[in-house]
Amino acid sequence: MKPLKFLCVLLCGMTSVYNSPAQDKLNIKFGKITPQDFDLSKYHFDSSASAVIIADMGNSAFEGNNKGGFSLVFTHYRRAKIINKNGIDIATVEIPLYKSGNNEEKLQNLKAVTYNVENGKVVETKLDDKSVFTDKASKNYIIKKFTFPAVKEGSVIEYSYTQSSDFFFNLQPWEFQGGYPRLWSEYEVTIPEWFRYVILTQGYQRFAIHTNNSIAVHYQVNVAGVTERNDMVTLDGNATDSRFVMKDVPPLKEENFTTTLANHIAKIEFQLSSIQFPNSVAHEYMSNWPKVNEQMMEDEKFGADLQKNNGWLSDDLKNITNGASTKVGKAEKIFNYVRDNFTCTDHGRVYMDNNLKTIFKNKSGSEAEINLLLVAMLNHEDIPSNPLILSTRHHGKTNEIYPLMDRYNYVICDATIDGTSYFLDASEPRLGFGHLPEYCYNGHSRVISKELQVPVYLEADSLKEQKMTSVFIVNDEKKDGMVDGSFQSQLGYFESYDLREKISKKTEKDFFKEIKIPNSQDVDIENGNIDSLKQPDFPATLHYDFAFKNAFNDDIVYFNPMLTEGYKENPFKAAERFYPVEMPFTSDETYILNMEIPKGYTVDELPKSTKVSFNETDGFFEYLILKDDNNIQLRSHIKLNRANFSADDYSSLRDFFGFVVKKQSEQIVFKKKK
Amino acid sequence: MKLVFALCLLMMPFVSFAQHFQSNDIPDSLKKNAGLVTRYEEEVFEIKSPGKATEHERHVYTILNEDGDYVSTYRSRYDKFTSINNITGTMYDASGKELKHVRKKEMEDVSGTGDESLITDSRYKICSFNNRTYPYTVDFEEEDDINGILDFPDWVPQGINKASVEDTKFVVIAPKDYVLRFKPVNCSFQPVITEDGGKKIYTWERKNLPARNKEIFAPSPIQIIPYVMIAPSDFEAQGYKGDMSTWEGYGKFYYELLKGRDILPEDIKRKVHELTDNLNDPRQKIKVLYDYLQRNTHYISIQLGIGGWQPFDAAYVATKRYGDCKALSNFMVSLLKEAGIKGNSVIIRSGANETSMNSDFPSDQFDHVISCVPFEKDTVWLECTSQTLPAGYLSSFTANRYALLVDEAGGKLVHTPKYGLNDNQEIKKITATINEEGNLSASINTMYKAERQDHLEQLINYLSKEDQLKHLKSSIDLPTYDIVKFDYVQHKEILPPSITETLELNAPNYAQASGKRLFILPNVLTRSAIKLKQDEERKYEIELKDEYRLIDSVEIKIPGGFQVEALPRDMKLETKFGKYITSTRVLPDKIIYYRLQEQYSGKFPPSDYSDLTRFYDEIFKADRSKIVLVKKE
Repeated sequence: MKPLKFLCVLLCGMTSVYNSPAQDKLNIKFGKITPQDFDLSKYHFDSSASAVIIADMGNSAFEGNNKGGFSLVFTHYRRAKIINKNGIDIATVEIPLYKSGNNEEKLQNLKAVTYNVENGKVVETKLDDKSVFTDKASKNYIIKKFTFPAVKEGSVIEYSYTQSSDFFFNLQPWEFQGGYPRLWSEYEVTIPEWFRYVILTQGYQRFAIHTNNSIAVHYQVNVAGVTERNDMVTLDGNATDSRFVMKDVPPLKEENFTTTLANHIAKIEFQLSSIQFPNSVAHEYMSNWPKVNEQMMEDEKFGADLQKNNGWLSDDLKNITNGASTKVGKAEKIFNYVRDNFTCTDHGRVYMDNNLKTIFKNKSGSEAEINLLLVAMLNHEDIPSNPLILSTRHHGKTNEIYPLMDRYNYVICDATIDGTSYFLDASEPRLGFGHLPEYCYNGHSRVISKELQVPVYLEADSLKEQKMTSVFIVNDEKKDGMVDGSFQSQLGYFESYDLREKISKKTEKDFFKEIKIPNSQDVDIENGNIDSLKQPDFPATLHYDFAFKNAFNDDIVYFNPMLTEGYKENPFKAAERFYPVEMPFTSDETYILNMEIPKGYTVDELPKSTKVSFNETDGFFEYLILKDDNNIQLRSHIKLNRANFSADDYSSLRDFFGFVVKKQSEQIVFKKKK
Repeated sequence: MKLVFALCLLMMPFVSFAQHFQSNDIPDSLKKNAGLVTRYEEEVFEIKSPGKATEHERHVYTILNEDGDYVSTYRSRYDKFTSINNITGTMYDASGKELKHVRKKEMEDVSGTGDESLITDSRYKICSFNNRTYPYTVDFEEEDDINGILDFPDWVPQGINKASVEDTKFVVIAPKDYVLRFKPVNCSFQPVITEDGGKKIYTWERKNLPARNKEIFAPSPIQIIPYVMIAPSDFEAQGYKGDMSTWEGYGKFYYELLKGRDILPEDIKRKVHELTDNLNDPRQKIKVLYDYLQRNTHYISIQLGIGGWQPFDAAYVATKRYGDCKALSNFMVSLLKEAGIKGNSVIIRSGANETSMNSDFPSDQFDHVISCVPFEKDTVWLECTSQTLPAGYLSSFTANRYALLVDEAGGKLVHTPKYGLNDNQEIKKITATINEEGNLSASINTMYKAERQDHLEQLINYLSKEDQLKHLKSSIDLPTYDIVKFDYVQHKEILPPSITETLELNAPNYAQASGKRLFILPNVLTRSAIKLKQDEERKYEIELKDEYRLIDSVEIKIPGGFQVEALPRDMKLETKFGKYITSTRVLPDKIIYYRLQEQYSGKFPPSDYSDLTRFYDEIFKADRSKIVLVKKE
């Protein structure tokens, strides 16, 4: 974004007068430190932390500059203590600066000092300018980097700097939370009335202080090259001064079942909405969904081709849809054609690099290109279809109210056939008609169309992953002491998909070779087969036969009836969790075993049957086992009705799985008959 | 004339190959065990002068499955010494039809400064293709200018994983009078040498090499993979000249880089005297100074220009209190010098698996610097990037290998110490009680010594208590148990160092109580997990690298009123690979179990593989035999 031209009337040097609320200020000043300040024992924080951020304070304000406009000025102060050598990485600081063309953000007034206590006195070591390095990280970012001198265990480090920016969209966000505990994290933002930002907050921590005050401001802006007398302009008005403080913020670490930590850290962000100066027109920066739909559909790199009739597809489509009698049949043929004949070269795109014709000719493209082509082909055959844009799970959540376009990174096709909506993704070669990869189920997404402007919610809670496994074990009548079995498992759709991916990369034979059946070192696996492996519209079924060769020789044999199935360890390891659990789908897993008691053995001990429910109606685990003279029957059934759980549910979820793991590890004890 | 020749050489492959990389041309023999096939590879390295060269590379790979995907991303490094003139990437489908073509300016250009370094001047051009439809073919081509030479690329015809090779070629062009040094390793590949005007052209080529199978206990790649080492004689970089024909010459070059960089600020000099003047024993002085280094500095890597080779001077490290391996080593040597002790920087190759080197071919085979103080009979070695190792101990990171010691006379090869059977020990003592229900409660004391403690040394010094526990749990093979208490103590006074682990745990149902019988596994924690596949065809020698001794003494109190029904057989296996001895005794109130396992280092012919398999199988089985106790009537 360019600095704003229309402000060329204004002149430099700025004074911004404001009163901040005086209560509950952190009494800390750069360079003022005594040996007592090294002692953090009066604070409460994670005792395993290897570094602590004592104070983290940011301030963003506007200043009149000498280029005829305003600059954003961000100042940052931080004091931290290194508790042990694992925390030394906090002494290395990176400050990313945005650049675009010749204009780049500036780093000024960087001060950094290390303090150590030596012989009861605080000794300081300053960072020298030469030790600040510049790393040109990418086209739009340079990174200023430095590491504090003379740091060791017990050092306190302190730094501050100013970052000035002409990019109003880059009003610095503030993270109140990170990998180390933060005792005091404060951000103050003063926004003059002429600038409007949408403020977005997230996370699960409360503000200790949050104030908004209206204050009077007075800016002077300097413009070179205008009439000599009138090149200094003053501007008076009001501003909103907001102050946000969090105290004693615990660190956040990534654990299992997390889409991305970026969704969960306590954070505040600012999205530029509009700028309007007195007596001038407002410039809108924040769009709205109707406008975005309009623009995207006109965009050469997105919807423009979809508006045309694309007659060039006619001949090919005639061949492709040949023999299809129903609309669904036709759609399936087109989908299969695109999926099977196009190579996806890139995932994670929203816009096209080429037009549809070129993509069709090349038979390759990004996921956006392939799925937009699919939309065009379906529309050509009068199957109403629209592109749907979304953000994949790893990429973070989208915003429902504001069209923040950089939060989207994926395009699929939404087709309506006989009143039913089908979500299609032809970019994944082993994905069936009407299925999406699990990473697409990330909540709010948008249909892009001139007529239809609706949000669509792709929720993991709506996905049911159902698996049914049955195992039969019998005595081999021909060979004494041998015990044979057969295994059959109808997999859920996503597990089937993973299996297809896995087998595409090696042979089926190797896959079966790698199956390890516990209970014995010596198991032969034969007749391995996978039904529907090549029919991605359906879930796959896995089956094979096995034979225990020497498992039943000893006087006592311990036998885990779950064989390859069941939970071997608790997926929830951390004792506590500060953010929600986000599983990819709801699950329903049944395991059934029918086993003939091995010849010459009796059952000495059988695990006990049990049933527990989870949060009353959210799920259950059932383990039913019984025996008669010749047979043992087991049924293990786990069902979870939700995929997302709040942090409050965590400990019961952990206990639930802990119980499952324990139960499923129990063994049957067989004893040789005397 | 020269120009025309060079052009021909560069252009030819384009014309003849561009349409040819169809995937169905690949013979089955090259598909076996392969994730990808190197269809065509060519590297032309032209030495213009001791300090200047150009390099032209082309790599065409057909990727057969996921295992080969890693070559679909091409990363080309450039820095102060190397600039990329041109680079392109093209992807084809199985039929040879072009899917995507990427030019230099479309490629991602990223900083080479990763997490390892604070800053470097290296950057990468990255071309990454993303395809999930196998097979597909990628073709990368690159031309570089090299200004400042410190080493030449070696030629490894089959240097990448999971790859078979259809055709690969390496060409070196040098001025006629230039002494090009090369050495075939694990092979006898000789170049075809031709002359063209004032130039000499060396060409190596290999065709149709099937993919190698990975073998367990095989020697390191450097000992088995055929390759050709290539090195300069005279070389030059940023005004520093050297001659690599001898180790002495190489050492001289590095010494030049070090010269005058050992001057300490006055306050540090005072500190050195304060710390050492009252000590007489030079070894004591070394210890004190090394301790000072460890307490006051830490590792930070900054690699800019010649700074990739030349360390920051001692004064820099003295004020910043950080540096990379060479800066910290140089600082250490400077501290020693101030105390009147002569130390040296030592250039070395790091990594537990990097013990082999071609000591008869002087070339840049190193990536790390340590320091040492030679005495008449022995040498005190110092790893200056560690804040926790004791003075005089090199971990498996740098032990047992050749290295280049640098001094004013140049360089000489030295060998770092090898830690053997009597050093690498793990001695475990378990005192436990089993009750009538079969629950076990045990206190365990383990002493890990020398290389057996290296990994643990890192864990206990660099991980949180929480993560230490996680790691500890991952190493315990019991179905259910609780850790009541655990603790580590590091002993650095006596070399090689050791760590004592004390552990208390409860394992419910450890012994299976069944009616009147009690089944007890006397080997609680050290059951061998090694089970070798017998049916695999063995091609390479067997190399057992580590030498170690494990001793377990277990004493388990048992409930009264039981008598022995069955006891595991006492074992005594003595083989060339190692030793295994167990004995199990049952007294009225306790079980006494003893286990010793030794592994010897050495190389053995492939035919010994079945013996090795048997040795480990017997251990595997014996470690799992149980004691059966029966209640007295």
